[in-house]
Order: sequence, then C-alpha cells, then structure tokens
Amino acid sequence: MRIVRNTVDVTNVALSGVGGQGVLTLAEVLAKAAMLDGHNVRVGEIHGMAQRGGHVLCTIRIGEHAKGPIIDPGTAHLVVGFEPIETLREIHLVAPNGCVIMSSHILLPVAVSMDQGTYPDHDAIMSATKRFTTNVIEFDAMELAEKAGSPNSLNMVMLGAIISTELVPVTKDSALQSLYDTVPEQFQQVNSAAFNLGFAQVGGMLRL
Amino acid sequence: MRLCSLYHKIDTQSPVQALLGPVLHRAHDNLTKPTELLEDNPGKRILLLGNEAIARGVLEAGVRLVAVYPGTPSSEIGNNLTAIATRIPDFYFEFSTNEKVAMEVAGAAAVAGVRSMIACKGPGLNVAADPFLSLAYVGVRGGMVVVVADDPSMWSSQNENDSRYYALMANTPMLEPSDPVEAKSMLIEAFDISEKLELPVLYRTTTRVSHTRAPVELGPMRDRVSTVKFDKDPFRFVPIPSVAYKRHPWLLQQIEKARRISEETSLNYRIGEGELGIITSGVAFNYAIEAVSTLGLKAEILKLGMTHPLPERKISDFLQEHTKVVVVEELEPFLETQVRRVAQLNHIVVTILGKEQGYFPRTYEYTPRTVIEGLAKILNRNTPINWQQIDSKAEELSSLPSRPPLLCAGCPHRATYYAIRVATRGKAIYPSDIGCYTLSIAPPLETADILFDMGSSITTACGIARVTDQDVVATIGDSTFFASGLPGIVDAVYNRHPISVVVLDNRTTAMTGQQPHPGTGLTGMQEKVSPIDIVDVCKGLGVNYVRMVRPFDSMATLVSEIREMVVWVRENKQPAVLVSREPCALLAAIDRQQTGTPPHPYRVNSDLCNACKRCLHRLSCPAMYFDSETNKAVVDETLCNECGICAAVCPKGAINRED
Ligand code: SF4
Ligand code: SF4
Repeated sequence: MRIVRNTVDVTNVALSGVGGQGVLTLAEVLAKAAMLDGHNVRVGEIHGMAQRGGHVLCTIRIGEHAKGPIIDPGTAHLVVGFEPIETLREIHLVAPNGCVIMSSHILLPVAVSMDQGTYPDHDAIMSATKRFTTNVIEFDAMELAEKAGSPNSLNMVMLGAIISTELVPVTKDSALQSLYDTVPEQFQQVNSAAFNLGFAQVGGMLRL
Repeated sequence: MRLCSLYHKIDTQSPVQALLGPVLHRAHDNLTKPTELLEDNPGKRILLLGNEAIARGVLEAGVRLVAVYPGTPSSEIGNNLTAIATRIPDFYFEFSTNEKVAMEVAGAAAVAGVRSMIACKGPGLNVAADPFLSLAYVGVRGGMVVVVADDPSMWSSQNENDSRYYALMANTPMLEPSDPVEAKSMLIEAFDISEKLELPVLYRTTTRVSHTRAPVELGPMRDRVSTVKFDKDPFRFVPIPSVAYKRHPWLLQQIEKARRISEETSLNYRIGEGELGIITSGVAFNYAIEAVSTLGLKAEILKLGMTHPLPERKISDFLQEHTKVVVVEELEPFLETQVRRVAQLNHIVVTILGKEQGYFPRTYEYTPRTVIEGLAKILNRNTPINWQQIDSKAEELSSLPSRPPLLCAGCPHRATYYAIRVATRGKAIYPSDIGCYTLSIAPPLETADILFDMGSSITTACGIARVTDQDVVATIGDSTFFASGLPGIVDAVYNRHPISVVVLDNRTTAMTGQQPHPGTGLTGMQEKVSPIDIVDVCKGLGVNYVRMVRPFDSMATLVSEIREMVVWVRENKQPAVLVSREPCALLAAIDRQQTGTPPHPYRVNSDLCNACKRCLHRLSCPAMYFDSETNKAVVDETLCNECGICAAVCPKGAINRED
C-alpha cells in the first residue's frame, strides 16, 4: 500500500461557539450532507465537562483522505464563529487565505459580568481577526434566527451561510435534505427558513 | 436537535412525592437515532460516533450482556444501548452501580459462557482493576471485552492515565482501534480472540476515537443464546491460593498463544514504503499518515491494532529493515519501551526515536502538528506551516475573557453551594466529588477544596476532620453517592468522624448525559422499579442526623439547614447528612417542554435594581449579565431556567417572576 498525498483534497471547517448554541448539531447536519454528496467525512467533537455552557469547538473534515478529526492551526478553509470572541478564540486555525464567517451577536461571558475581564470592542475584534485573514464575513445571525422564528435556529442560519460561500463541497439540496433528515418535523419549517436566510445573507454579501 | 430548548422552564413546585417516582430519562442527546443502530441492513453506511460504532458492534458480535457505569468519553456506548435494549432479543443491559460492579456482573456472565462486555472511562478501570486481574487468572468461557476510554488532554477527567499498562499487568490481550470504523470491526475480532484464548480482552479507545464521527458500514448481526447452563468448575473459578498458583502459569501460556495471534493478525500491518520507519497505534496512526503525506516523506508505517502482546517478530523484522524508526503514540512510551526491548533482545542496531529523546510529548492528546513537528525535528526540516508565527499572533489574544464550562442556568447545585458558603461564611473545608458540581471550584462559589476520585468527598472529609479543628462540609452527587459514597458513610458512622455531608440529589447522572442510577427508579432495561432513597440509606447505615431539603423552596431555610447541621456535627462529633433534592435543570427543562408549559422567566425590575451586582458576583448564573448601557443587571429570558435563586439573593427585591 502507498500513502497518498492527502492534505490537498481535504476541506477543513472549524465551528466555534458556546455550549447550547447547537454547534454539534450543525456539524452533524453538515457531515451528513457531505455524505449525501458522496464524500468521506470526519467530525471531531468534545462531550462532557466541555459542554456546560463553555467554549465549544467542533471540526469537520471533508474529502477522500480525511483520516483524523483534528484541524491544525493555519489549515482551516473556513472558521465559523457563532459569537465574536469565540471566533477569535479559534481564529488561529484559519489558513492564510481562509475564510471566516462570524455572527456579530454577543453573548457576554460570566467572567465579564463578574468584572473579571472586559469584552473587546468591535474594532479590536475585527482588526485581530484580520491579522489572520482578510476574508471575513460578518453579520448578525441571531437577528436572522429570530426572524426565522426561533433563536435556536441560529445554527441553521450558519449552515446556510457556509453553503453559500461555496467553499465546502456540499450542495444546497443535500444540505437541506440533511436538515430535513435530522430535525424533528415540527421544527423543520423554522430551521429551513433560517437556512435560507443565512444562505441569502452571505450570497448578497459576496456578490457586492 | 437543540431546538427542544434545553433552557426552558422549571416547575419549582413539583411535589417531593413526584420526585421519588420514576423520572423520565433521556439518556442521549445526539442526533443519530439509536434505532438506526438496529437496522438489519448490511452494507449500508451511516455516520457514527466511535462510541455508537461500538454499540453497533455489540449487536454484530452477538453480545448477550453489557454492563457499564457512565463516564466521559465512554458514555454514549451505554446511552445508545439502553435506548435499544428492549428491542434486542435475548439481550441484557445495565447501568451498574459502579465500574467494579460492572466488571463482576459481566465477568460472571462470560464465565457462565455468554459473550459480555463492560465499558468505562480510564479512571473507571482503576476502580474495576481488582476483579479484572482475577478474571485474567480464572479466564472466561464466553468472549469478554473490557472497553476502556482514556482521555488524553483530560477533556473531562481527573487525570490522563494510560490504561494500556493494565494489559501488561493483568496479562490480557489488548486491541486499540484508531477510528470509528475500526471501533466496530475490531470489536468483533476482540470477541473472537477472547474466546480463542479464554481471556478477557482489553479494548482501549481514546477521546478522539470515541468522539469522532465517520461513515461506518453496517455488517450482519449475530443472534444471542437465551440462557446457558453454569457448569461448575470451582478449582478454576475460585482462585484460592492453590488454584491461583496453577492459573498463573496457564495465563502466561495463554499470553504466548496470544502473541502468535498478534504475529499473524491483519490488525498489525504495514503501509507505505521508505527508509524511515514509523511504529504507531490508536488515533496517532491517523496523524502519522497525515504527517508523512504533508511532509512528503518516504516512510513505512507499522500500524499496530493489537498492542498486547506485541508481535515481536513483526517488530524485529521492521527494525531490521529500517535504520531509523520513530515511535508515535499518545501519552506514555508504552510501545516505545517495548520496541526498545525487542531491539535489545534481538541485537538489532537501529536508531529508535520517540519520547525518550524528547521528540514527542508524554502529555496531552496529539494532533497532526505534534507528529509533523516531531518528524521535522528528527529529519532536520522545516514544517510546511510556520506555526511559531501563528502561535505568537494567537498569544496576543490570550487576554480574551475566558468562557469555562459552568453550572447551567437554574442548576440546583448553584443554590446549594451558595447556601453552603453563606452558612459557613466560606470558612469551612469543602471536599468535593466527581460530577457537574465540581464546577463549583470556580468563583464565586469556590466550594471545592480537595478531590481524588469517585466518592472521595466523604472519605477525604473524614481524614481532614481528624487532623484539623475546622468544619468540614463534603458535597457528593446522587449517582456518585451510590457508586462509591456508601463505604465512606459507613466509615464515618462507625469511626464517628465529625463531618457534614450534603448530597446533591438531582435525580440523575447529569454530567455524562442523564443516565439513571439506583435512586431514580429506572433501569438500563427501561424498567420501572422502586427507587432507593438516599435518606433511608443513610438512616439505615446509622447516620443519626439525616434531613432532606428542597433547595429552591426557600434560600433562608436552605442556609439555616446547613448551619444547623454544622453546629450539630460540632456538638455531637459524628457525621450528619443533608439531602438537597431538586431535579437537574436539564431534566426539568425537558419535562416542562414535554408538558408544553409556557416559559415564565424571571426579570430584573430596572427601577429597583441599584447596580450593586450582588446577583452577578455571588451567583454567576449564566442567564444573567450586566448591561453597561442601562447600568442594570439583566436576565436573558431565553436562557433563564426559572429557579428563582437570583430573586432570593437580590437585596433590593428587584428580581421577580413575570405574571
Ligand atoms: S446538574 Fe444539571 S443543571 Fe446542573 S450543571 Fe449539571 S446538567 Fe446543568
Ligand atoms: S436568571 Fe435567576 S431565575 Fe433564571 S436561571 Fe438564573 S438564577 Fe435562576
């Protein structure tokens, strides 16, 4: 057997957010969509202690030669941040020309409420992000989720946004199919609406 | 999907009686429906978590009995099996009281002659080590697999001990799958090997095997026997000294047979070609492959799936054929030491590189980068990515406010810990235990001072109380109490240790995903049974002061209950127990959601709030924050779980429930 050069054909996506925001769900829906499109996938996640409202990182690797679940610093084609400082926390993963999708909606960490830290202002966040890559797509995903009918559909707004960048080898149809396969029926309408809002939002921004 | 908002409402009025009845448990919170694991559709590929693949492997291997005690990163094995157990003919599953119990239940079933399995986390195998070592001596008649999930990087554990040494110590065969695909396929082989050798097989995963999702192909399922007859053979299965004396040589002889299997099995194979040799196992194999291709190296990899006993001939051949061999494995130099041993025994002149020379770390989980950097250093090359530069840029972000895991909004532990601090003015010693509540180590609760392992809150309290004159208030969860708190209570009663014990009875095993335990009234087979009440247990064990309190009823009562207990212990010089009973916020939320109760969150009346921040500084409920624009505390209504504790803490009476 030969070891093939495998790093070129793998798409790396890092999802960063807060426990309870549906990060793991998004990873699973996206991975299943990639499978529908005939791709090999790996999803890396952490359970247990790491899920109690703390920072959550989930990785998705798509491509024939994806083997391990982990994405090294500087190798993510796409970093998806569910919250501004959670985006920054994993920004080192982004590849030099990689893309960042960031929801601007802030969730204040308890440390800030307890006066044990300050939340950086928007300019500081943007300039820190841009030291890693200039491809930053920022919008308020929470606003879109609420518009779709529930703040809990935030993750599907992000899914729509991811597909819209065309950086991931997953078709819109498969993404929606995977969403329907996964989400219980009574929540499908809200979630597909959220998906479409995220998709349109990023589509509009990229065309500009 | 998380749409079933875990953050809905709690009914604080639910009667105690209802709490003693069976609690509806959702032992899983993942999307792959456990029923998909039942599909009799060989060849179909589905996305499975490593642990789900193991659960499916149980069906494909025809395992008759599985016993587990939940522990991250092994928990989803049991969570999935309990959900489908009643639909599998001739199958028995249990959440055992602890790992030692699980090992004995499963071990005996295998001695009787059926296939059995236990699953636990790394520290769980330490608890079960005693029966495990005996099992190796007496052996089994049906196949038995001991799944142990280690946790490099300690994502959810008190240490990152390398369980592979148990295979050496017990003299049992060991297999190490490297991904979800192998997690299923190698499990089936493990049972075959176990039966061939009549020995339990250690099956060692790590977090990144257990918690990685990958497409896995379903195989055919295998039927189970309904019952077997236990054939007596006491001079084999009762290892009194004269029996054990004979069994030890037998065991060593079996392990030699195992070595022959290890030499022949396709689980130990070579891939690639080149002068450089790499020996690896487990998840590190993936990183080795990625590193070789990223660096564009010519290298041959010896991938070991069976890592005890090692295929010494295969290894010595490999060493002969390469001048430089790098050993890549997470944690301890388990393979490395043995590879060096093989080289020495066979007089092979070869450079073996690994942890001993500092090329690879002995701490934390590996990443492709770990292996790329190690190989680059060995080969005197540059890494393809300038990680130092990325690290230094990332370093500048280190001042970001942290977001550690927290007790959930509406978690009853927050109320109890707040009251413990108030009642003892933060001056007592607070032995803690294993569960969500260990998170009380963080400010502002700061009520965790010492912790060793499951159940140690009570026993460390005993030790501290004997040599100090400080008040000692231990806290332990309900599941942990049953798992290994009982001997500590007995010790405290019999030896009259002056300790206060608060049992945080939230009616579930919360940390690992809401599994039932003996206090809940539900079994692993989804049967409703009589729950065992901790209050009765403590009374039965001879504790002379046992009281029960509902933490959300009244903060004043909660504080005075704790104060009274501490005073009583001081005066009576013996242990006292207070059971603080309230369902886990997540259970309560699911319950409300199922009954369709509309949200009824608390609110801060901004006219009354004077921005003293007492609620934020003393409670740190994640549903509350400070709005610097209005200069008032705010409750995020989408996160509030309606426990009402903040209202009790606010000195201005500014926090109320909306009508
Ligand atoms: S016990 Fe329940 S409410 Fe408390 S932190 Fe754990 S999961 Fe959350
Ligand atoms: S905001 Fe108040 S009532 Fe709501 S969960 Fe937090 S402490 Fe309980």
